[in-house]
Amino acid sequence: MIDFLSLIAGVLLVLMLMAVATKGWMGSRQLPDPVPGSSEGEPTEPCPKEFVSRVFSRGDWEFVHGLKSRGMERLFEHERKKVALVWVRQTSALVRNAIREHARAARQSKNLDFLGEISILAQFLILILSCRVLSIAIHIAGPVRLSGLAQFAQRLSQQVDRLQESLHGGVLAGASGTRAT
Amino acid sequence: MLGQLIWWSSIALEMALLARGLQNRLAFRLPVFYSYIAFVIFQDLVRLSTFQWKYDLYKRVFWSTEFLGLAIGSLVVFEIYKVSLAAYPGAARMARNALAVVFLVALVKGVLDVAGAAAGWQASAAAPEIERVLRVVQAAAILALVALFLVYSIPFGRNLRGVLLGYGLFVGTRVICLTFVSLQNHNFWFYAYSASYIGALSLWLGYLWSYQPSPQPRNPRADLDDEYRKIAAETQRWLQAMRGYLRKTVRS
Repeated sequence: MIDFLSLIAGVLLVLMLMAVATKGWMGSRQLPDPVPGSSEGEPTEPCPKEFVSRVFSRGDWEFVHGLKSRGMERLFEHERKKVALVWVRQTSALVRNAIREHARAARQSKNLDFLGEISILAQFLILILSCRVLSIAIHIAGPVRLSGLAQFAQRLSQQVDRLQESLHGGVLAGASGTRAT
Repeated sequence: MLGQLIWWSSIALEMALLARGLQNRLAFRLPVFYSYIAFVIFQDLVRLSTFQWKYDLYKRVFWSTEFLGLAIGSLVVFEIYKVSLAAYPGAARMARNALAVVFLVALVKGVLDVAGAAAGWQASAAAPEIERVLRVVQAAAILALVALFLVYSIPFGRNLRGVLLGYGLFVGTRVICLTFVSLQNHNFWFYAYSASYIGALSLWLGYLWSYQPSPQPRNPRADLDDEYRKIAAETQRWLQAMRGYLRKTVRS
């Protein structure tokens, strides 16, 4: 058992550092100061609630099902699944942005609260995990059968958004960024 | 023959690394790391001469220098922590606490293991076993640090990144090899155990060939601590709201 745990620690360390080496994480590349919510290709706000409930609602599915066309049903499922997956990715990106911004403020603070930080990180991990699970569930079951779960995830993402807004509210301006010496 | 080749190539690489470090003055910027390299050169030469002229003392010399190297190696990890987080007091505080947790868990586990198998270890098997346990603690400490560096987006200069990658990969492969290695049989894991260091040396030579400045944060604002408190309070509020929502969802 101890051998197994030490083996896991060794393998994990090697894999993590190989990822750091190959993906260029922790690199010293100079990036411009991030302007919250302005990164190209990254979502700035969550999808409107009506849109998400539409993506996951049974109403459209029942309408298409009523047309009695198997081809149409397949096309509908395929398209809806794609839209749902984009939404999950967008939600996940919002969560990651919130983590980044919180970490940027926390790393330079002298009065950092260790237990508070652990709690925040755990909550963020739960959110990211929820998005992963949701994504797998959409792949397996399709979005229409997941409306309850999706509404839940959407509420979570809006909570994240509220946090992000509070971080944006002038609090972080000028406190982050790096330059070479 | 393969053992000798590994031995001599290690010494050559170490000397090149040290000479280059003195030439580009990186040895003065990362003194603990270069002291470690100097120690390893000394260790290799002592081992080599003992192996050739006083073989009956070889095992004792090998293990005592091995543990000394492990202790100085731990100082290298401390240097990485100190240099990289010097400008990030918040992340440094997290790192100190995370490392304290790692060492506390290791201590408790060590005490339990010793209590559980007090007379179980044979003298011949004890040294590799102790090294494996200590290397696992080192691996866990490096893992915790790397995770923190990633979470808090700590930017690394090329040189420090090389030191971390080389030493971390060396410790990781040592842990894997020590799980399988038998010092009595010269099998694949025995040579992998010895050769893992050559990999680290090559990496260091590449990353530390020339000095490259580390990125530094912009002047931190004086009111940052008040801001952090605001952010933390807001985050806690958000977490409480989410907990309430989770409860409601589970009940519904």
